[in-house]
Amino acid sequence: MSISMIILLVLGIVLILMYNSLVSKKNQVENIFASVDTQLKKRYDLIPNLVASVSKYMEHEKSLLTEVTKLRAEANRPNISDEHKIALDAKVSSALGSIMVAVENYPDLKANENVMHLQRSLNEVEEQIAAARRAYNQAVTDYNNALEMIPTNFMASAMNYQRKEVFEITEGERENVNVKELFN
Amino acid sequence: MKSVSELTDFYYENLFPTLEELDKERKQLRYRIILVGFGFTFIFFLIFMAIPSSWWQSGDAIYFFGFAYIALGGIIYKMLTKDYVKEFKEKIISPLINAIDDNLNYSSEMHIPQTLYERSEIYTASVDRINGNDYVHGHIDGTKIKFSDLHTEKRHRNSKGKDNWSTIFQGLFIVAEFNKNFQAKTIVLPDTAQSSFGDLIGSWLQSKNMARPELIKMDDNKFEKEFVVYGTDQVEARYILSHSLMEKLLQFKNKTQHPVAISFVRNHIHLAIEYNKDLFEPSIFRSLLEYKIAMEYVQTLHLAIGIVQELKLNEKLWSKS
Repeated sequence: MSISMIILLVLGIVLILMYNSLVSKKNQVENIFASVDTQLKKRYDLIPNLVASVSKYMEHEKSLLTEVTKLRAEANRPNISDEHKIALDAKVSSALGSIMVAVENYPDLKANENVMHLQRSLNEVEEQIAAARRAYNQAVTDYNNALEMIPTNFMASAMNYQRKEVFEITEGERENVNVKELFN
Repeated sequence: MKSVSELTDFYYENLFPTLEELDKERKQLRYRIILVGFGFTFIFFLIFMAIPSSWWQSGDAIYFFGFAYIALGGIIYKMLTKDYVKEFKEKIISPLINAIDDNLNYSSEMHIPQTLYERSEIYTASVDRINGNDYVHGHIDGTKIKFSDLHTEKRHRNSKGKDNWSTIFQGLFIVAEFNKNFQAKTIVLPDTAQSSFGDLIGSWLQSKNMARPELIKMDDNKFEKEFVVYGTDQVEARYILSHSLMEKLLQFKNKTQHPVAISFVRNHIHLAIEYNKDLFEPSIFRSLLEYKIAMEYVQTLHLAIGIVQELKLNEKLWSKS
């Protein structure tokens, strides 16, 4: 085999490895987003039960409850984009956070077994969503890195791959988290 | 649960009369060991002198002689110290453990079963020999916990057909119920690659480890420097290793000052702390009342039992309660 053939072969292998690594990173992002989606759905499924259990007692928070029900209906619509899902997640997190803070003011609610069970389930789902978000952000960072670093960036622009966005916590949500900590 | 200083007080106050008695026994034992040691060495020396020099031509004979000296010496030492060790464990270690929490049971001869050790998947080498003692099991704050001294070894057959034993793990092995439900396996090992080869090459090497499941990059820099995480599910690994748990594990590792490996399998947390020595054995050549010796017992016990509080395993905020 001549030198030039060997060089071409090696080059070919390198190109294939780069292509495959980009594809695998893109798929990893989609794979993990599917896990995020599953957890988000789990949380949306808890909402009707929560609203039903607390609406009798929580007179002052009626607007919060209607908002959260509305957000759920919006999330259940078919064919919404990933970016829309991410945006809704931020709003639902903050709304649910406010509701759970308000629950602290109603001793009847705090003693209610159903509500306590819901609180634990919600805690668990929120933690799983947080974990899924972190995993998603790591996958997206790996993907974005591959898109921008040499040498895979040439291959990526040839494949027309676009940068993806990570889950970001908005300023508003950060404030709500602090209020929660105050009560705990 | 009592604090370390309360335990130290207990050690010196409540156990004091027993310690004094035991210390007297210890001194007698030490004297006996020195005497027997000299006698034994002297006898071997005589035998050594009596054997004709032609026997020493082959290296095998010297090897055998040395091996016999050490092996016989070990057996005699064990025979001499057996009663003293048993008394120490019954009269000092057992009350200490009860003082920490009376929901704990202590069996000085038993150890963590091999099945639990293998289930943790922390050490992948197959076990040819397992030894252990000082088994503690029970509840702390409603959390089931068990731990013991454990020593697992692997056998190598060298070219002459003789057995050579190497240690896979020696130290404290703790198993406790974890407060979250999970299906996947997550394994946290001390990070040697990143500290030796730097971040880029280190993480590349770690991701190529065929014996382990997928590499999981955690989002806490300090944690990533000390540990490498492998797991079968990217999301579940982060569900288990929340930011607060990662911080607490780091603090725990810095407290023990020994290599720590952790795994989360079948709804339990397993911790393997490499001490490379047998813990909770009474000192023979130093006084039992000496502060440093006392602190070793108290601190190690407190460390092992304290993980329930340290890692907040008793916090039941989720659906598993």
